[in-house]
Amino acid sequence: MEIISFYSGFVIPFLVGVSVLFAVVVYKFGRWFVRLPVEDRRLVRKNFFSRATVRALGECFMECLLHRKIWKVNPTLGYMHTAFAFGWFLLIVVGWVETVAYLGWRFVPLQGHIFFKFFTGGEHHWLVMDILLWYVLSGLVLAVYKRFRSRTLGMRRTTKLTFGDRVALSSLWFIFPLRLLAENFSGVMAFWWGYSIALGIFFVAMPFSRYMHIFTEVPLIFLRRWGIRSGERESSFDHFQLEACSRCGICIDPCQLQRDAGFRDVQSAYFIRDRRYNRLTRRVADNCLMCGRCEGRCPVGLQLDTLRLNSRHTLSGTPADGRFEYARKITNNPVISNECEKSTGQTVIASENEAICSNSQSSSSHPLGGRGETKNSQLSTPRIGFFGGCMTLLSPRILQSMEQIFAASGDDVWWADRNGGICCGRPLKLSGDIDAARDMMQMNTQLFEAQGITTLVTSCPICLRVFREDYRLEGIEVLHHSEYIARLIAEGCLSLRDSDEKMTYHDPCELGRGCGIYDAPRQVLASVGELVEPAETRSEALCCGSSLANFVVDDASQVAMARAVGAAFEATGAARVVTACPLCKKAIGRTSSLPTLDLAEVVAEKLNND
Amino acid sequence: MKKVVVVGGGVAGMQTALSLKERGVEPVIVERTGALGGKLRNFHLLFPSMTPAAEVLKSFTDQVASSGIEVRLNEEFSDFSTDAPIVIASGFNVFDARLKEEYGYGIYDNVYTTVDVERMFNEGKVGLKDGSVPRRIAFVHCVGSRDEKVDQRHCSKVCCITGVKQAMELASLWPDAEIFNFYMDIRMFGPGYEELYQQAQQEAGINFIRGRVSEASPTIDGRIQIKAEDTLIGRPMKMTVDMLVLIVGMRGTDGGKFYRPRDLFGGSVLSDRPNVFYAGAATAPKTVGESIAEGVMAAEKVVQYLNDGN
Repeated sequence: MEIISFYSGFVIPFLVGVSVLFAVVVYKFGRWFVRLPVEDRRLVRKNFFSRATVRALGECFMECLLHRKIWKVNPTLGYMHTAFAFGWFLLIVVGWVETVAYLGWRFVPLQGHIFFKFFTGGEHHWLVMDILLWYVLSGLVLAVYKRFRSRTLGMRRTTKLTFGDRVALSSLWFIFPLRLLAENFSGVMAFWWGYSIALGIFFVAMPFSRYMHIFTEVPLIFLRRWGIRSGERESSFDHFQLEACSRCGICIDPCQLQRDAGFRDVQSAYFIRDRRYNRLTRRVADNCLMCGRCEGRCPVGLQLDTLRLNSRHTLSGTPADGRFEYARKITNNPVISNECEKSTGQTVIASENEAICSNSQSSSSHPLGGRGETKNSQLSTPRIGFFGGCMTLLSPRILQSMEQIFAASGDDVWWADRNGGICCGRPLKLSGDIDAARDMMQMNTQLFEAQGITTLVTSCPICLRVFREDYRLEGIEVLHHSEYIARLIAEGCLSLRDSDEKMTYHDPCELGRGCGIYDAPRQVLASVGELVEPAETRSEALCCGSSLANFVVDDASQVAMARAVGAAFEATGAARVVTACPLCKKAIGRTSSLPTLDLAEVVAEKLNND
Repeated sequence: MKKVVVVGGGVAGMQTALSLKERGVEPVIVERTGALGGKLRNFHLLFPSMTPAAEVLKSFTDQVASSGIEVRLNEEFSDFSTDAPIVIASGFNVFDARLKEEYGYGIYDNVYTTVDVERMFNEGKVGLKDGSVPRRIAFVHCVGSRDEKVDQRHCSKVCCITGVKQAMELASLWPDAEIFNFYMDIRMFGPGYEELYQQAQQEAGINFIRGRVSEASPTIDGRIQIKAEDTLIGRPMKMTVDMLVLIVGMRGTDGGKFYRPRDLFGGSVLSDRPNVFYAGAATAPKTVGESIAEGVMAAEKVVQYLNDGN
C-alpha cells in the first residue's frame, strides 16, 4: 500500500479551527476546574473511583448523544437533536473504524480521518457512512424547518440568537450539505474547500456560542454525579452549568411571564445567556417567578432557580450588618412577647378529644408517620408549634380555621406568630439578601428551640420551604398543615363530613415543585369532597402569578397570570378552588369567579362538632 | 314600534325611562331585583346636603308609576342581540370586602362596610353587636379602590365623601366617641364636599390619618386592633378600636369591569354598537346626581338614533 500524503491546502481552515477550539476549551475547562471551591474538589477526589463515574458515562450517552429528555418533550424535536449529536458522533467513530479497516493500525493525522474520501481518492467506500450522513442531513432539514415553523416541533417560540450563535449556526448548516457534495463530486476542489471552511468557522465560533454546550455538558454530568451543586453564592461550578445551556428554548414555552404577561427576554435561556456574556441586569435577574416550571423541563437538568438566586445575591451586594437589630429586641424581650399574646390572645381551649387522641396515638404505623413522640408526662408543655407567617396573618380565615382544627385534634399548640415569631427569611433570600435572611432564620431558630417544640406546623409553603432547606432545626419535625391534617385524618383524630361537592386544587409552587408535596392535600380534599384536576397539575401546575420571587412585574401582569390560572380552574366545572398557600389564595381569589379557599378552611368547615 | 329596553331600575334607569316617555318614546324597565331604586334603596342620607335617600327615591318611583311606564321586575336581561334600542343602566356592584381578608370583614365582630352603616341607620339600629356604644371608631378609605392587589385599579370617587359623611353622622350620634379616618388621598371633587370635609375636622372633631391600614386582628376583650402607618410622620402605629368601618368601592357589572363608552366627551353614553347606550355608573363610578344627568343624556341620544331612521 502506497504512502498517502495527508496534506492538501484546503485542510488549513479546518486545522486552524480545530486548534482554536481545542485551545479555548482546554483553557476554559482548566480555569473552571482550578477555581472550584475546596469542598467541590474534595467531592471530585472522593467520588472519582465510584459507581457515580460509571453512571455519569451512561448519562452522557443517554443525554449528550441520544437526548432522551428532549424526546420526552417532543419526539420530532428529539429526533432532530439525536440526528445531529448521535449521527455526527457515529460519523466520527465509524469514520475512524473505516480508516483503520482500510489503512490498518497506523498514525493518521486528524485531517486524514475527516477528509478520508479525499485522500483515498474515493477508492474505499462504506455505505453506512452515506447512510449516517443522510441521517444527519435529515436532522438538518428539521432544524431549518424549525427556525421558521417551530410550532410543528412542539415549540411555540424558539430562542433569539446572539451573533456568535448566528455564525456558528450558519456554518453548521453548511457543513453537511458541503460534505455530501464534496464526497460525491470528489474532483471539485471548491467543495472540499467549502467543507473545510465551514468546519473551521464552526469550530472557532463554537466555544463562544451556544454550541459550547456540546463539550460542557460532559464535565457537567460528571461533576453533578460526583455530588457538586450550585449554591446560594456564585461558584466556579456555575460556569459548567451556564455553558452547558444550549439555549434550546424549551424553557420559554412553560414560562407564564411569556405566555400571559408578554415578557420575552427574561426566561432562563436568556438569563443564562446574559449571565454567561456578563451583561446580566437586575431587571432580568429579578423578573422571574421561580415557579420551577422551566427547571422541571430543562433537558440539561440545570439548576435554573439556584443560579438566578446566586446572581441576585451577587447583584445585590448589600451587607446586612445590624439591619435587623430591632427584630432581635422583639424576639428576645419576654415583656413584649407577653404583650403580644395578650393583645391577640385567642387561646386554644383544649377539648375533650385531647385525652382520647393524645393517648391513643399509634405512633407511626401510618405511612405518613405519627405526630411526633408522645410524652404523656409532659402533656402540659407545648409540643406542636404553629407558624402562620406573614401571609397567613393577612388571611385570618386560615388562622381561624387552624384554631378550630387544633381544638378538634386536642393538640396543645404554641403559636409562634403571637409569641415573637418573625418573618421566615425566605423573601429576603429570594431577593438575594442571604446574609439578612440568615439573621432572621437564626432568630426564629432560637425562638423555636427555647420553646422545646418537637413538631412545627406551618400553613405557608414559602415558610415551609425555607424551614426545610435552610433552617437547622435539630429534633423538630417540620410539617405543612396539609401533611399535619392528613395525619390527623389518618389517625382518626378528626371527624369530617364527606360531601360530593366538586373542588379543584391548585398546587402552590413552593409546596409542589418546591417541597414535593402533592398527595397530602389531595388526600385531605378527597375526604371532604370530590377532587377534579385542572389541565396542568402537580409538577406541571401553573403559578398563581403573585410569587414573592418576582421583584419586577406589576400587579397588572400578576392579575393577567392569575386570570389565566383562574380560567383553567373554571374549565374543570368545580364549585370552588382550594389551595394550600395564603399567597396563592389571595392571588387567585381576586379575579376568579369561583370562591377560592385554603385547605384549612375547607376542613374546618367540614368538622363534625359533636 | 319596538319599546326601548332600559336595563336596570336604579336612578339612571328610571330617569332614562322618564325622559324617553317625555319625548314620546315608549320605554320598558327591566330590573333584576324585586323593586325599583337600585343602590339608592340601601342609602340613608345623601351627601353633601343630607337629603334623605328615601325622599329622592320616592319622587322617582312615583313619577314612573304615574307615567305608566312598563316595569318588569325580577327579570334578568340578556338578549343583547336584539335590534331594539337598549340602554344599559346596570350601575355597579359593591366591592366584596371579604376579598381584603386582612381587614377581617365577616370574620370579626364589629367590622362593617359603609353599606352596612347606611343599612343600620335605615333600620335605626346603629351600634356594636352587643348593643353597646363604641368609644373609638376607625374608617378605612379605599377598600377595593385604587388597589391592584384586588384587581381594582380605579378610584371609586364617591367613597371619600361617604366616609366623611358617615364619620360625621356617627360623631353626632355618639359625641364622646373618637373617630379616625385612614386615607390615602382625600378627593373632595363635588360642590359642598370640601366644606363638609372641613366641617368634619373643625367642628365634628374627626381625625384624618394619612396611611393605609395593613391589617386588623381581634384582641382578647373582643375589640379590634389595627396596624397602619402614619405616612405624614413616617411611623408605624397600632390602634385598638371598637368599630371598624370599611369604605368599600365600586366594581363594574361587565364581568367585574365597567362598560367602556365610545368616548368620554360627546359619546359618554354611546357604545360601539349603534343601538346600545349607557347611563349612570355602568361606565364608571358616579354620584346619584351624575347618574340622573346621564339618564337624560342617554334618552336624548336614543331619540336622535330613532329619528335618524332606525
